[in-house]
Amino acid sequence: MSFGNFKFVWALFTTNLKSVTALRGSFLLSMIFMALNNATFLVFWWVLFGRVGGLRGWQGPEVLLLFGVSAAGFGIMAAVAGGALHLSRFIDEGALEPLLTQPKPTLLYALGCRSQASGFGDFLSGIAFIALSGYLRWSTVPLVIFGVLASAVIFTATCVLLFSLAFWLHRTHTLSRQLLDITITFSLYPEPLFGGGLRLVLFTVIPAGFVGYLPASLVRTASVADAALLGFGCLAYGWLALRVFRSGLSRYSSGSRFGIFG
Amino acid sequence: MNAFGKYWAFARIAATEAAAERATLYGRALFFAVILGVFSALWRAVAEAGMPLAARHQDMVWYLAITEWILLSAPLRHLEIQEQVRRGDVAYQLPRPVSFPRATLAQCLGMLLVQAPILGVVAFGSAYAFTGTLPSPKALLFVVPFGLLAAAVLAELYVALGLLSFWISDATPLYWVASKLMFILGGLMLPLELYPRWLQIVAACTPFPSLLAGPGSFVLHEPGDLALSLGLSLGFWALALFGLVELLFRRAVLALQVGGG
Repeated sequence: MSFGNFKFVWALFTTNLKSVTALRGSFLLSMIFMALNNATFLVFWWVLFGRVGGLRGWQGPEVLLLFGVSAAGFGIMAAVAGGALHLSRFIDEGALEPLLTQPKPTLLYALGCRSQASGFGDFLSGIAFIALSGYLRWSTVPLVIFGVLASAVIFTATCVLLFSLAFWLHRTHTLSRQLLDITITFSLYPEPLFGGGLRLVLFTVIPAGFVGYLPASLVRTASVADAALLGFGCLAYGWLALRVFRSGLSRYSSGSRFGIFG
Repeated sequence: MNAFGKYWAFARIAATEAAAERATLYGRALFFAVILGVFSALWRAVAEAGMPLAARHQDMVWYLAITEWILLSAPLRHLEIQEQVRRGDVAYQLPRPVSFPRATLAQCLGMLLVQAPILGVVAFGSAYAFTGTLPSPKALLFVVPFGLLAAAVLAELYVALGLLSFWISDATPLYWVASKLMFILGGLMLPLELYPRWLQIVAACTPFPSLLAGPGSFVLHEPGDLALSLGLSLGFWALALFGLVELLFRRAVLALQVGGG
């Protein structure tokens, strides 16, 4: 991505930020409720670990770290590239057309044209969980930043892949959303719970391993192999998402829609 | 047309609409099966560390299958009511010779009759596939009617939340709060007996345990001991919520008339 595109993404983000914070009460409510939503999920683990010491080597701090990385990564995606969650609607409703004539890449524009207020809540609560886990130290800050950003990139690529289904099948928004929810669900539970075959699926078809387990493992162990694998995952899923979107866009047909997009 | 006939027609139309929206239902079913798969793996791991209560890990998967079945079967009517309020469509429905809240409840029951059997089959099939065990036939005999009643009461709770949008522009945060309370106080994923004592007492003062943990407990404990108290509790909350919905709607209509619609 060129420097010009980075500036464009930043401009989109700041514009969206002004837009979502214009209704301050609604923005704060969405943010707080999303953080509370995440905290609620931890009640389950709090009760369970209160009764069972640990699960296959995982205890409270490890679960907090896993949950924090996934939530923060998803939060960045929803706040910066929130359009990814609406991509199937853009395709179904012919809303991509105004973007095709823009000088900037269509996908970049489609991703950056929306920002979810709840994403900020996800991000902040995710960082809070990482801090609470005890794994956030000066020495691990670069690893946390890299892990969370990688998680955000792979979440974005996953959304592009899932919501691009609308290019081939129509009215797939609910299905795509459910598939994304499945990815999120898997990414929030400790990896050792799952057996060999399923574990392979979690690092390939469902990238739950790349959005949660691997970044969390990187923060815990500071392993070069984990960092390299995570970097490879970002490139691979990013490349695949781009290919699928371009392939879909080549068969995208006009809906004769007249409107203003922005 | 008598009163029953009118509301039956509402229920029938809603059931037909729910049957037509298959993609949503299949999506829910898929998500449901995945959740059961994840929790089956989780409870196997818990069993290795030692079960924290007197139940097999397979029973816990069945418990979750029942609580999730109730939760996913209950129609989320609050969003539609909110839209009707926002668009002013409720005003058009006032002169009709039907009660809006009762018609809405009838619609919920119609949708429930379509969603519950399909999700019930998914719950049963997935739980059996993941555990290889079945609860006792007696437990299943209790689960079905109590689960359906609990889902109906839950649907009425969502109707009450939707009616609150007469006073607040967006009832979604209230739904979020209710769903979180359901998660914690309802014992969606863990039976309440695992909770600290103080949290169990707080939960007992709310309708949530009767809606989820109550029917779910039939697979953990002897159903005969629980049925009477759960039946009474569900009956109480059904009547209380029915009364609340009627009251809320009357107050809303007054507000509409005072405000001029």
